[in-house]
Amino acid sequence: MKSKFSKPLLISVPIFLGLFLLLLYNNRPQTQIDFNAHVKPILNKHCINCHGGVKKNGGFSVLFASEAFQPTESGVPAIVKGDAKNSPLIQRLSAADPEERMPYKKPPLDAAEIKILSDWIDQGAEWGTHWAYIPPKKSELPKLNNKAAPSFEHFFQTHVDAFIAARMEDQNLTPNPPAPALTLARRVAFDLTGLPPNKELFEAYTNNRISYATYVDSLLNDTAYGEKWASWWLDLARYADTKGYEKDPGRSIWLYRDWVINALNQDLPYDQFTIDQLAGDLLPDPSPEQFIATGFHRNTMNNDEGGTSDEEFRTASVIDRVNTTFSVWQNTTMECVQCHSHPYDPFKHQEYYGLMAFFNNTRDEDTPDEAPNYRNYSKEDALKVEELLQWIKSYGTAAEYETFKDFLYFLEPKYQLHNCEDFTNGAMADGKWLALWDKGSAYLRNVDTQQSGSLYFNYFSRLNGTRMTLREKNASGRILAEFTINKSNGAIRRVPFKILEGKTDLYIETHNEGLAPQTTTSYLSWFAFLPNLPGADQKGYTKMQQRLNTLLNSPVDQTPILIENPPYMQRSTQLFERGNWQVKADTIPPHTPVYLNPWQEKWEKNRLGLAQWLVSEENPLTARTLVNRVWNQIFGIGLVPTIEDIGSQSTAPTHPALLDNLAVQFMTEFQWQLKPLIRQIVLSGTYRQSAAIDEEKLALDPENYLYVRGPKLRLTAEEIRDQALFVSGLMSRKMGGQGVMPPQPKGIWAHPYLGDLWKESKGEDRYRRAIYTYFKRTSPYPSLITFDAGSREVCLINRISTNTPLQALVTLNDPVYMEAALALAQQEENNPSPAVAIDNMYQKALYIKPDAATQTVLLDLYQQALRTYETRPEQLEQFLDRETPTQIKLAALTLVANAIMNLDAFLTHS
Amino acid sequence: MDSLERLLKEYQLKNAEDHSRRHFLRNCTLGLGGIALGSLVHGCDRGVAQAPWYTPNRALNPLSVLPAPFAPKVKSVIYLHMVGAPSQLEMFDYKPELKKLHNQLCPDSLLEGKKFAFIRGRPTMLGPQANFVRAGQSGNWVSDYLPHFQKVVDEVAFLKAVKTDQFNHGPAQLLMHTGSPRFGRPSLGSWVTYGLGSENQNLPGFVVLSSGGTPDAGKSVWGSGFLPSVYQGVQCRSKGDPVLYLKDPKGIDRNLKKQLITAINDINFKTYAQQKDPEILTRINQYEMAYRMQLTVPEVMDINTEPEHIKELYGVAPGKESFANNCLLARKMVEQGVRFVQLYDWGWDSHGTDHSTAVDLGLRNKCREIDRPITALLMDLKQRGLLEETLVVWGGEFGRTPMQETREGKTMRYKGRDHHGEAFTMWMAGGGIKKGAVYGETDPIGYQSISGSVSVHDVQATILHLLGFDHETFTYDFQGRPFRLTDVHGSVIKQILA
Repeated sequence: MKSKFSKPLLISVPIFLGLFLLLLYNNRPQTQIDFNAHVKPILNKHCINCHGGVKKNGGFSVLFASEAFQPTESGVPAIVKGDAKNSPLIQRLSAADPEERMPYKKPPLDAAEIKILSDWIDQGAEWGTHWAYIPPKKSELPKLNNKAAPSFEHFFQTHVDAFIAARMEDQNLTPNPPAPALTLARRVAFDLTGLPPNKELFEAYTNNRISYATYVDSLLNDTAYGEKWASWWLDLARYADTKGYEKDPGRSIWLYRDWVINALNQDLPYDQFTIDQLAGDLLPDPSPEQFIATGFHRNTMNNDEGGTSDEEFRTASVIDRVNTTFSVWQNTTMECVQCHSHPYDPFKHQEYYGLMAFFNNTRDEDTPDEAPNYRNYSKEDALKVEELLQWIKSYGTAAEYETFKDFLYFLEPKYQLHNCEDFTNGAMADGKWLALWDKGSAYLRNVDTQQSGSLYFNYFSRLNGTRMTLREKNASGRILAEFTINKSNGAIRRVPFKILEGKTDLYIETHNEGLAPQTTTSYLSWFAFLPNLPGADQKGYTKMQQRLNTLLNSPVDQTPILIENPPYMQRSTQLFERGNWQVKADTIPPHTPVYLNPWQEKWEKNRLGLAQWLVSEENPLTARTLVNRVWNQIFGIGLVPTIEDIGSQSTAPTHPALLDNLAVQFMTEFQWQLKPLIRQIVLSGTYRQSAAIDEEKLALDPENYLYVRGPKLRLTAEEIRDQALFVSGLMSRKMGGQGVMPPQPKGIWAHPYLGDLWKESKGEDRYRRAIYTYFKRTSPYPSLITFDAGSREVCLINRISTNTPLQALVTLNDPVYMEAALALAQQEENNPSPAVAIDNMYQKALYIKPDAATQTVLLDLYQQALRTYETRPEQLEQFLDRETPTQIKLAALTLVANAIMNLDAFLTHS
Repeated sequence: MDSLERLLKEYQLKNAEDHSRRHFLRNCTLGLGGIALGSLVHGCDRGVAQAPWYTPNRALNPLSVLPAPFAPKVKSVIYLHMVGAPSQLEMFDYKPELKKLHNQLCPDSLLEGKKFAFIRGRPTMLGPQANFVRAGQSGNWVSDYLPHFQKVVDEVAFLKAVKTDQFNHGPAQLLMHTGSPRFGRPSLGSWVTYGLGSENQNLPGFVVLSSGGTPDAGKSVWGSGFLPSVYQGVQCRSKGDPVLYLKDPKGIDRNLKKQLITAINDINFKTYAQQKDPEILTRINQYEMAYRMQLTVPEVMDINTEPEHIKELYGVAPGKESFANNCLLARKMVEQGVRFVQLYDWGWDSHGTDHSTAVDLGLRNKCREIDRPITALLMDLKQRGLLEETLVVWGGEFGRTPMQETREGKTMRYKGRDHHGEAFTMWMAGGGIKKGAVYGETDPIGYQSISGSVSVHDVQATILHLLGFDHETFTYDFQGRPFRLTDVHGSVIKQILA
């Protein structure tokens, strides 16, 4: 059960499991103490708040072994290996003086806890590595005693079930019987495709024409699978169609969303899926898709608000990328380490900046154009690009070919002019454009022109006749380029540029006499330095030069991507004192935390290397994290119940061996593919159980940690909408493309400067799957957010499922849901028997027949509606604002359809 | 295993107790025995010591009332946020010295090492554009932009030196309302409704009313962050449905809607009888609440039912979206037991780029728009005895510079001030507040604090304190660690407490 308060309940899990371990331990005299199982939980619970991470009161810390055994401020170590009696730690825990006794001013440890610590010290105080940081290992299937018991009949379907059954046996619990095929068919269809099953497939399975496994395979092969699981991934990727922050303007990154859907449908192995997203641009000769995949980390927000510092928000994006990468792949909260060493987990302050160094060298600089963007040329233009590149290949060097290719596809590398300084008669306009007046000047410092003969720049201007001069070093320096800027709505232009060795400061000046004082002559956003187009002595050169110019200025779809700085533009990464980006300390080279898997020499020290490190089979967290999250999607609870965190503060896995076996299987047997993993889980007897609740079992295992019943989840925000459209026959299954704008109430998007910009989609775009709904961060689609979708500003690992009156208002009153109810009713409008019509509607919606009691209630509602409309026929005239009056039967059926579409059975998946 | 069994038994007993208190499910109170709705271990460690926010009752109704951990001074909050950052120098922070320096070039010493959002080059000083009087018994300064407010000035306590480290609107608003300049944290109102629930189950517990437009940081300033979304602010609108999807669809009247919901709940209850899933009971409860909310919200949102003299007092404009309407609505909401009412009024970003943002022109109009409603709100709350149990907070996301703005280094046609976070004014009124107090002082030009500087987190800690929370122990576990509104900062500003 995905409960409305899964989170707070989790607080109790470690305590519960801790107690449980304690009890086990108490029953076994003088066992070998295990640091991780017995000691670490006590230290984390009672000690680490004051003795670890940020605080090392008395000079004592229990975070790292190296710290725990060192002399404290008193001069001696707190722990004397092999001698509990003489260890100050133990003495202080049982001291009589309240000033002496630890934990200070808090309740004392109980005797059992102190005994564990004492025994541990007496046994040599061996420090252990937390299980989460040891790579997963496969183990034997547990041996079962009651396997043949009648209650376990039908239970054993995949190897998952043996592990689940073993825990049940321990607790003298038994599984629920299997769910009826009709119920299971609907449940698994939602879990795999986010939709109810299509009718033919459903009947083939429920009439025993195909097996459950075949049914599952068909669902996995439906393209709806990618659309369903993409929601989960896009929450992690913080995908949205807007930039966030103040005005929250639009962003065109839907190609990334489509990439995710396709990658999932093709079951792109998770290691490749990871590499493409984190470092697709660094692969040898990346495909356009691999560039688009790097959109993952371009989903960070971009701040266009006037007066904001681009460097501040670029840094914020880089920090977000570090944190998101670690949340998504390592299930570890790195935010803490930004300011100080991790309070609980073994990560050090500088290791944060070691990770940041991997991400700190991308070209994006929080500019309003969101550069770098992948330029998606029209088919026609793409051919011209290829022809032009062919020319360059024929007459130029290989390096020139690469340079022009990069520039044509993503306009990099370039210098953003927001870095200009020392202005005279001019400034940055809105922080975004170099805006000089007559006799204006500014410096762009430390520029490496790569001995280029051409300068390209982007500009617009409302005036003619501005003379711009670029000089070497300063106002009296050599002229490098000189040209006139005339009126333009915006263009990229090339001018000749003097060849220059090494780095220089560029002095930029403008003249346009006779202008009113303080009039801006022109607006420029970037400079790029490129070699001259090769082949100057060839026939057709002028045409090629023109073509280059035309292509650079041709309208294209642009998608933000990651591009790495060339060597001469590298940034060094410095540690931020206490996390403050303006107080920089030592330079930190890229490196990964020592507690995790070792770095292999064959990897380059860049994002690509980092991605390879993450998907190395030696990484202890990547596969576990993924397996745990997939499990959570299906059961509404993880094998490690703290879905946001696997580490020393997380709960222990309920089934550690299962978690590890699945993780190993995922990496090896399944070759990192998600579909076989999901398939194995939904084929399990564990999954197939009925969700009915047995009160005795509920009392013993309220959270279903032992899987004594099958999952019953409230449908997700997307599923709720999609189901209504699907069962009413309104849904369009068109895939991909720009975000659509289905009807929403007026005024939701009203922005002081921008007005109401929600342009309601026409035709089938009104009825697309929710995943295609335009996602505006500051104002997400209201019914989705009401059903717990996030606002996609930051990485969201787990949606908390809630149950609120506002949700009831959506499914009862939102015109979208009324339209669906009407459409469902229309299918039965001509049915002579209301009872049969209602049965049919119910069955179309829920895939089972209503029982007699339900039939009666619904038929009563129908009759009540008829009576109401007979006495107040004017209601039929205005019914749902339709153009013509509604037939009385149709109106009454619509009401019944709306009731059906609000039932618990409809809003949940079992 | 003896102790585990004992623990379980205790738990079941506790459940049974909680159970007997569930009287709100009018039609289905029988036969729900022994449902385990809460966590297994109520009696352990943090479960009780620090986070009493989960009881079985809460699982059925997440907004059910919970007692504050410490003696609260107030029950509800009305928070008036002037979006864009109002100029303290034209409203409350009187600086005669600045007048003398008007039009003089700003000395370099004020500019060194400082970053401004828009000022470039060397600006001139801009003297206060309003005249100030000493008002009320307290004799506290109020400008002539706020003639009405002068009458209630003795009710409020001023913070004259609030400091923020954010000087862009979006991040500064987030910091003010969520304790962090970045996205993802719960807002103040969410924390409060999470901690206390709502007194009126037919209304949202955390209501947001805006005039002029949405704040720059968007809906995140009333978002629930990592708290369950049930605690996010519900925007009540003056146009269209006051709450989204509140209105019954055309052709389905109230009576029919009642029958519809009865039918849904009847069938759901039957399903419950078979499946015993407690979540179904919650759903039944939510549908009943939705039905009642459909009646109650329009009633509360209808200001026409108020007597004429009250409407006049506030200066309301029925049928329109206005700050005055929202002030009156705020009073009505608080009267009805809404826990947290957040008002946003847009249009305070006085850069001087045009008439509407000039501190001598547009700002005067903005002040006129709020002067009477705020005065009316304080008086009205007081006459109803509500002011003693309500906290009213006024402020923006930062303050404004004593220098005239020079955007792109240019002289500007209108008089405007740039963003300034080092010292600005906020005030609070209501229960537990020391009336007529002033805490904090700025230098003679109103640029920096010279005493009593308080941070945004201090303000938040103080609000929580008045509601009966210790901001350091009011936490929520997320990503393996406890989070709090004030992060690792903040202390209660005792100087303005009664």
